[in-house]
Amino acid sequence: MYWRYAVRRILYAVVMYAIVIFIFSALFNAVAETTQMAQITEQVNAESRGVQQASQMRPEEIQQWRADRRTQLIQQYHLDEPIVSRIFWRTLNTLTFNLGQSTQIRSSAGENDVWLVIKERIPRTLILFMTAVVIDVLIGVWLGLRKARKAGGLMDRTTSIVTMVLYGLPSWWLGMLMIMIFAFTFPIFPSGSMHSTPAPTGALANFVDLLYHMALPVIALVLLRFWGRAYITRNIVLGTLQEDFIMSARARGITERKVLYGHTLRSSAPPIVTMSLLALLASFGGALIFEGIFSWPGMGNLYWVAVQQNDVPVLMGNLALTTGLYIAGLALLDLIYGLLDPRVKVGGKA
Amino acid sequence: MKRKDMSQLRAFWNEFKRVKFGIVGLVLFVVFVLIVLLEPVLMPYRDANDRWRDMTYWLDSPRNAKPVWVNWFTAKDYAVAEVLEPTSVTESQVGSVRMITMEFDYDFHYQRPPSDLQLVTRLTGNASVQMELIRPDGETLSYQRSTSSSGTRELRLSIAQNLQDKVFRLAIPFADADVIAVENPETIDAVATLFAVAGPGMLRDTEPLEGNYVCRLTVALGSSESSVDAAHVIIAGGVAGWMGTDASKRDIWSGLIAGTKWALLIGLLTSFVSVAVGVVYGVVAGYFGGWIDSMMNRVFEVFLSMPLLPILIVMSAVFKPSIWTMIIMMCLFFWVGPVKTVRSMALQIKENTYIEAAKALGASHRRIVFRHLLPQLVPYAFATMALSVPAAIVYEASISLIGLGDATVVTWGQILQDAYASGAVLQGTWWWVVPPGIAIALMGMTFAFIGFAMDTILNPKLRTR
Repeated sequence: MYWRYAVRRILYAVVMYAIVIFIFSALFNAVAETTQMAQITEQVNAESRGVQQASQMRPEEIQQWRADRRTQLIQQYHLDEPIVSRIFWRTLNTLTFNLGQSTQIRSSAGENDVWLVIKERIPRTLILFMTAVVIDVLIGVWLGLRKARKAGGLMDRTTSIVTMVLYGLPSWWLGMLMIMIFAFTFPIFPSGSMHSTPAPTGALANFVDLLYHMALPVIALVLLRFWGRAYITRNIVLGTLQEDFIMSARARGITERKVLYGHTLRSSAPPIVTMSLLALLASFGGALIFEGIFSWPGMGNLYWVAVQQNDVPVLMGNLALTTGLYIAGLALLDLIYGLLDPRVKVGGKA
Repeated sequence: MKRKDMSQLRAFWNEFKRVKFGIVGLVLFVVFVLIVLLEPVLMPYRDANDRWRDMTYWLDSPRNAKPVWVNWFTAKDYAVAEVLEPTSVTESQVGSVRMITMEFDYDFHYQRPPSDLQLVTRLTGNASVQMELIRPDGETLSYQRSTSSSGTRELRLSIAQNLQDKVFRLAIPFADADVIAVENPETIDAVATLFAVAGPGMLRDTEPLEGNYVCRLTVALGSSESSVDAAHVIIAGGVAGWMGTDASKRDIWSGLIAGTKWALLIGLLTSFVSVAVGVVYGVVAGYFGGWIDSMMNRVFEVFLSMPLLPILIVMSAVFKPSIWTMIIMMCLFFWVGPVKTVRSMALQIKENTYIEAAKALGASHRRIVFRHLLPQLVPYAFATMALSVPAAIVYEASISLIGLGDATVVTWGQILQDAYASGAVLQGTWWWVVPPGIAIALMGMTFAFIGFAMDTILNPKLRTR
């Protein structure tokens, strides 16, 4: 039953998310609490100034009021409780997207709620990396199939060497070079950000503008990644090509083309899909430097900004949400895999 | 080691030898190790390791100079950065005054002038200094100064910063009157004028005058306690060193050499520890099975559910790690890599009859795991190690790029961070951005070659013939 498998997998992801968030809360508890205490002090100071102006209280009364307010806030955030319970409350808040207030960073509308700051950035990150991964996988799978068809041939060998040469090259460094060449030396593309300022009016012009800004980062990402994708595809396909059913298909006189794109690709599909989605997930985490280089206003860039401005709540919230998306992606991967490969959802022991 | 293992190793080596790119990888690896071993010989600035961020150490280099080999490709050569030592020193006594004269010869034969010429010396006590710069055409620039204070201080005379007006006056008899009228000592390129052919274009469209320039330093010392030492002339050339210099005058080649050992250390240590842990973890889980397996699997999956770079960045931001703690942090998350494969391999191996025989003979679990299971996984472990080295290096570089690296060491990532932070990408200072990246890529390629070569040997299915 597929739906039963699906429900179980999703529940499992939720539990896993809770566990990971609990670990994060414990790990970063000290720094998060220091920030929160500082924020409480700041809030009490700001409020007491307002109260003082409004009610003309005497200094002792103000002192008293401030102390009371402070205790009240500390109680509200459960900061007076023992450490295990503090970590527990932090976990619960994070799980319910109650990520607190940022110290410096504001959303584009000016709010300082961490959830709102991050929320508006999620689609921007997704659009950039999904585009890149789709192009990258299409080229990679196509090249991989060609490589497997003439495995050991000149094309296969040279592309494999390129794969290895590019293996340890940081994508963000290629990004830097491309900005240096195509944005400053030859100003063909913009050097960063997502839209021109002022943004063009009209949906179509806006879309073209977005594509124009996306071109350089996407090219840089694809240029570096599809080789590896092709190499893995080749290995998967090469493994399948040695199966008996391929030999029998060939023996029946089916054309090589049909064998490759029909039989082989169908049975190699599950691992190829896994590989592609894993690539998306890896790029999601790994490309946060990349966004910083291209000043793409996504979640990766936010890490950069949060580190520079020492905005701990944003950093923590961003980590929690990145992890959430990551785990959701892993679950999605298994769900798709289950659809493609019926053996998985039976739930036999691996 | 037992004879059986040796012969296995030899068979593996024989196969490895046949993979050409594997050999290329090994050669490159040896080259990197040699670079680390020969560091003192290869590094022109010996103290670059300890004083990379000490700006006083780099005072004598030019700023933003291109690599010297740029001259091989340009029609107009840039002046090469040099530090001139005195070619002759004469001492004479005039009454109670000791006169010391030092001469510095500079053979200028380039088509582009340096960015500065500085005379640097250390003076103690009462001293009066005269500097003369005699050009090949006989024109002379002179400057005098007396100092009288106790203690030692550094005298640094810079053409570009202190002596523009002298240079300007030098050019007045020759230069175009219209140009003199609109220019002043602050607006001219003093060094270019100093090294220019005397003529109307001396202030604006300078044409370099090649030949021998002599810088003469005459110091009159008033008392026996006074002294002058460590005199030298710095030619801040347009090109300097094999990889040029950065905006803080640092020699990039020295930085690259200094970074090599850290890259190797980070890569090898991280991959060795994490793969060793991962392999043992996978084998134990696979071998024991049952509740131990499922418990270990849960722990494994928790680690698998954390996105690596974000968590590393947040941990670095919060805990401000040194290079060693950074390696530990990476190991903490890298070990999950080989677990899945190793576990399934262990599941296969433990079904073999010889394991059953060993059990029947009363072999302990430990003996079976370490004697029968792990040795078979060693080749796989080495391939995985080689392939995870580049990742560790790139992660360290990424963390450094955000500015969270260990500031007490020089790594390639930190050189890139300095470059990025000071706008090298925008200014097109390519010799600052390209070499560290190439170094990272080359190191990654080295281990990719070795790892992929092992991989092709270990996976017979991937073999093409």
